[in-house]
Amino acid sequence: MSHWALNHGAMSASVPTALPAHAAAVVVNSTTPLWYVTRATGLVAMVLLTIAMACGLLSAVGYQRPRLPRFVTLGLHRNASLLALAFTVVHVVTTVTDSYAHIPVQDAVIPFISAYRPLWLGLGAVAFDLMLALTVTSLLRSRMSYRSWLAVHWTAYACWPVALLHGLGTGSDASVRWVLLLTLLCVAVVAALAGWRLAFGWPGRPVARVAGAVVLLLALIAGGAWLSAGPLKPGWARRAGTPPALLHHAAGLLVPGTARETAPVGSEGARAGAAGPRDA
Amino acid sequence: MSRGGAARRERPRTLKVNPVACQGHGVCMELLPELIAADPWGYPLIAPGPVPAKLLPLAQRAVNSCPTLALLLTSPE
Amino acid sequence: MPSRAARLMPETPQLTLAEHLSAHGPPPFAEPASEPGGVASLIAAVEQSGLTGRGGAGFPAGRKMRAVAEAGRRAGPLHSQVGTVVIANGAESEPASGKDRLLLRRAPHLVLDGIVLAAEAVGATSAYLCVHDDSAALRDAVTSRERAGLNRVPVQVVEVPAGYVASQETALIGLLNGTGPRPAFVPPRPSERGVRRRPTLVQNVETLANIALIARYGPAWFREAGPPSAPGTALITVSGTIARPGVYEIELGTTIGTLLDRAGGSSEPPQAVLAGGYFGGWLPLPAAGQVHLTEQALRASGAAFGPGVLVVLPESSCPLAEIARVTEYLAGQSARQCGPCSNGLPALAGALGHVAFGRPAGDLLHWTRQLLGLVSGRGACHLPDGTAGLVGSTLTTFEADLRYHASRGPCGRAARPPVLPLPPPPARSSPPVPPGSRARPEALR
Repeated sequence: MSHWALNHGAMSASVPTALPAHAAAVVVNSTTPLWYVTRATGLVAMVLLTIAMACGLLSAVGYQRPRLPRFVTLGLHRNASLLALAFTVVHVVTTVTDSYAHIPVQDAVIPFISAYRPLWLGLGAVAFDLMLALTVTSLLRSRMSYRSWLAVHWTAYACWPVALLHGLGTGSDASVRWVLLLTLLCVAVVAALAGWRLAFGWPGRPVARVAGAVVLLLALIAGGAWLSAGPLKPGWARRAGTPPALLHHAAGLLVPGTARETAPVGSEGARAGAAGPRDA
Repeated sequence: MSRGGAARRERPRTLKVNPVACQGHGVCMELLPELIAADPWGYPLIAPGPVPAKLLPLAQRAVNSCPTLALLLTSPE
Repeated sequence: MPSRAARLMPETPQLTLAEHLSAHGPPPFAEPASEPGGVASLIAAVEQSGLTGRGGAGFPAGRKMRAVAEAGRRAGPLHSQVGTVVIANGAESEPASGKDRLLLRRAPHLVLDGIVLAAEAVGATSAYLCVHDDSAALRDAVTSRERAGLNRVPVQVVEVPAGYVASQETALIGLLNGTGPRPAFVPPRPSERGVRRRPTLVQNVETLANIALIARYGPAWFREAGPPSAPGTALITVSGTIARPGVYEIELGTTIGTLLDRAGGSSEPPQAVLAGGYFGGWLPLPAAGQVHLTEQALRASGAAFGPGVLVVLPESSCPLAEIARVTEYLAGQSARQCGPCSNGLPALAGALGHVAFGRPAGDLLHWTRQLLGLVSGRGACHLPDGTAGLVGSTLTTFEADLRYHASRGPCGRAARPPVLPLPPPPARSSPPVPPGSRARPEALR
């Protein structure tokens, strides 16, 4: 989504004199509401999806307190999932309607066919497809066999990390401190609860539990390694597959700084800083 | 929410649990304590007899909320 | 024509196909094979005969056959007939019962006749004979019939893994469907949906043998034995401290005393007889001698007919210790699918252990009785209810022993070798011989 940062209209006040020390070039954002909505809804969807995962895991381990009965956990799980889907739909709609990077609607549901960052956008399409499947099957739960519903529901364990990777890979804000912290918090919550689930679920299947724990650990390590070598390093936009035309366009519109470096005056400036390295 | 019309409402319906599917999640007894209690191991003990008409919507909600779809609202055949 | 009392077990057994055919004649298949008249008449004949299932549940056999036949007619597209399935249940998992094994050894062709006749009657296109211990003799019997063209419906012998609940109706269906020999929640009933989603008829092998005889000699002949409310004969396995343990064929309605006399009487002073196997109940002796061997009479006395099992318990045994052992075994036989059973039965076994080998306080007995109510009827099969019934009967019948144990601790009779038979722990494929108790009753008397 980082292409939104490119100038649609007014430019930010400050003009660069030199690139920032860590060479994370920041591009001026635009004031197009669509771009803000895309980023915001993406982040909110991530948080809601994390809440949904957390409630689902709590439900699976049978967590219950006098003030948190099971039906509340389940209700929260359901509502958070539906809200996450709603926000994701808005996220997709704003992406498609914003004409900057020409992402047609099919790129949002058919993975990996996009011209813009095919892999990372494609992961978003995968996550979106999975969310649709999860929602539809859950709404029709009483009309299908429990086993089929369960099989589809298990893909939630793939949907959430895929959505997260999409956000980190396509998103413009991966290196912005508070966004990064938020993402890591989401990962911590889900990883901890998943660990708890592995520790206390499936008493009869120790092999599956150990395998799950190994997968979890490897995923965390691999994810961390990829994050530090990928989105957090400069030049990610190009490596992620932003079309050269957009990269080129960005090249002439650089402003320095990260969230900390920009002047707090003016919403554009602050948000430009908050944008993080993108199409450079 | 009972979806049937008045005719459907009048048919007596009983709550039953599929003991194989039931894993003791305990959501049903939270949602319908009037008719479902917990045994010492957390599994549902259902009050015998038909569900009173005014509890039917709540019973249907409990049935929809069971994570394993083990709670059933049946009509006697 | 078989005699009134020795129908399934005549003096000279007919082991080979030739002997069987010379004794009974060919099985009366409907001619031609697809003619509806002959077929429907077998179901009507079985209904009229009043034959009830001999596997333990006692469900009217004719009614079951009709349900499967009708379900088969309804289930096909545009109401055409869909091939139903017949399962012959010879997987005898009741430790104190030996009659099905014996029947399959001594009259396999009668059973196989019954399978094929019933299969024709209900429109079955496949049949399975389920047994715990497969044998070459049984398979030979099947192939000899195939060669003679008598198996109009293919019969396949299937070995069932050992386990008390493995021979339950829906467990056998699960085994054949590949989901494992574990009981399933009903609905849907086997007669509506069973093996490969087809209506399935599950009948005990003794029931099927009776069907084979009814097909030849008619319902009126069948009703010549036994009282009108419980017609026919039944195979009863008698064991415990009895002079001649074994399988006996009796007319229904015979008193327990008559049968025990036929079996030579008690070999030691008896205190009670367990009727109905491990889902049955106790009848104190000598009063039990007057009780008639019918489902109705036994239930009225607090026991059950079950698969036809009588175990005589001597005075020198501690009934509480015996039942504690049996409950421990039954708790271990849980398929562990249902919470109340997999939690409640081990708790019950633990409580009974304290009752039998400790000094049970009042609240322990209260808890034990509470457990009986907590497990009954809350499983997918009858393991919890049957166990609770057995324990309940024990606590009522042996109240004096309970009071003794409560005031003075174990009575010491538990030191005697156990009388109630149990299979050895994890037995594989062998006819189980209970450790420390008498040899499994198998001889015919």
